[in-house]
Amino acid sequence: MILRLFGMSGVFALAACGFLMPSPALAHHGRALIYDSKTETTVKGTVTEFVWSNPHVQIGIEGVDANGTRRQWLIEASSTGILADRGWSRRTLKAGDTVTITFHPGLKGSSTGDLIKAVLADGRELGAGVQR
Amino acid sequence: MRSRFLIALVGLLGTVAFISACSSRPAVPAAPQHPDISGVWLGGGKSSWSSTRAKPGTEPDIPYTAWALERMKGQRPGSGSESDFENTTDPALKYADPLGFPRQYQHPLKFKIVQTDDTIYQLWEWNKAWRQIPLNKPHSEDPDISWYGESVGKWEGNTLIVDSVGFKDSTWLDGVGHPHSEELHVIERIQRVDPATLQIDFTFEDPVAYTHAWTSQHTFKLVPGGKMTEVVTTMSDELHYRERFLKQKPPVPIRR
Repeated sequence: MILRLFGMSGVFALAACGFLMPSPALAHHGRALIYDSKTETTVKGTVTEFVWSNPHVQIGIEGVDANGTRRQWLIEASSTGILADRGWSRRTLKAGDTVTITFHPGLKGSSTGDLIKAVLADGRELGAGVQR
Repeated sequence: MRSRFLIALVGLLGTVAFISACSSRPAVPAAPQHPDISGVWLGGGKSSWSSTRAKPGTEPDIPYTAWALERMKGQRPGSGSESDFENTTDPALKYADPLGFPRQYQHPLKFKIVQTDDTIYQLWEWNKAWRQIPLNKPHSEDPDISWYGESVGKWEGNTLIVDSVGFKDSTWLDGVGHPHSEELHVIERIQRVDPATLQIDFTFEDPVAYTHAWTSQHTFKLVPGGKMTEVVTTMSDELHYRERFLKQKPPVPIRR
């Protein structure tokens, strides 16, 4: 398994650039108290699970954080219907795949994230959808 | 001789047919041509029917009664400026209740309109909800109380007017928790304002919750060839999500 550093330090990129979500409109829940919407984290790693479910599709990923520590994240995406309209399917990812995930990290130090986009091993880039 | 007789007969029959067609019997009126609003539509997510971003309970465009303000006390919506998703009291999250109507319109998933001469059907992706709108029919004498209410409709020019009553008062009017009673009366004016846009103007009347009628608007874009998917969330799904992302222990056994 190849885990590579991304962004500023090589393996892990943490960008506090004030990048905003395209729309504040949320279907299932607000993000304000759960995720840091002003921070983007990008991790290239290995998929540990891909759960095609509602209210949110879930992606488990194992990678290396900014401190060089191997760890796991659990990323939430939109609902299946919204993702399906944006090119995702239940077969888009599977355990063992290499993927690069960009997400808003969870607050409170939790290893969770709110998906912004995923870049698959074949180079395809899939967004999370502007509305959750 | 015989051919002359046949020619005369054909001529006579033709004349009779012509006279018959021109008789005083009234012509059957052409069926009225109503706008085509069928298709798959998608609106942006919306959490409040207020046109302002003021804190719920203080919006100048919503004429609350004391009953409504009291009912909102202690409510914790899962979205909007005052959201507290982890500890929400939103019945659609806490109990996985149906969104109900008109909140169903606020979910940013598609809905399909199937249009017939006597009934309009609306099919939503979110939790596979649907409603039927009989045209040119009165409401029931004593409408049942239900999640999605009872709707009837009629065309006025290019506008479909939908009149709905009989709503279960446990649902929220929208995602930020505006309340309503069983007296809620919703009037929709639905127009296809251009080939790709459906506009719905809402009027909310509820003498228990609001001192007078108030309005809101939502627009939807056509999704050509839009495929309707199944997006169902159950109580188990919600609790499983909360267990994983919020570290909340499920209070009841859940499907895993």
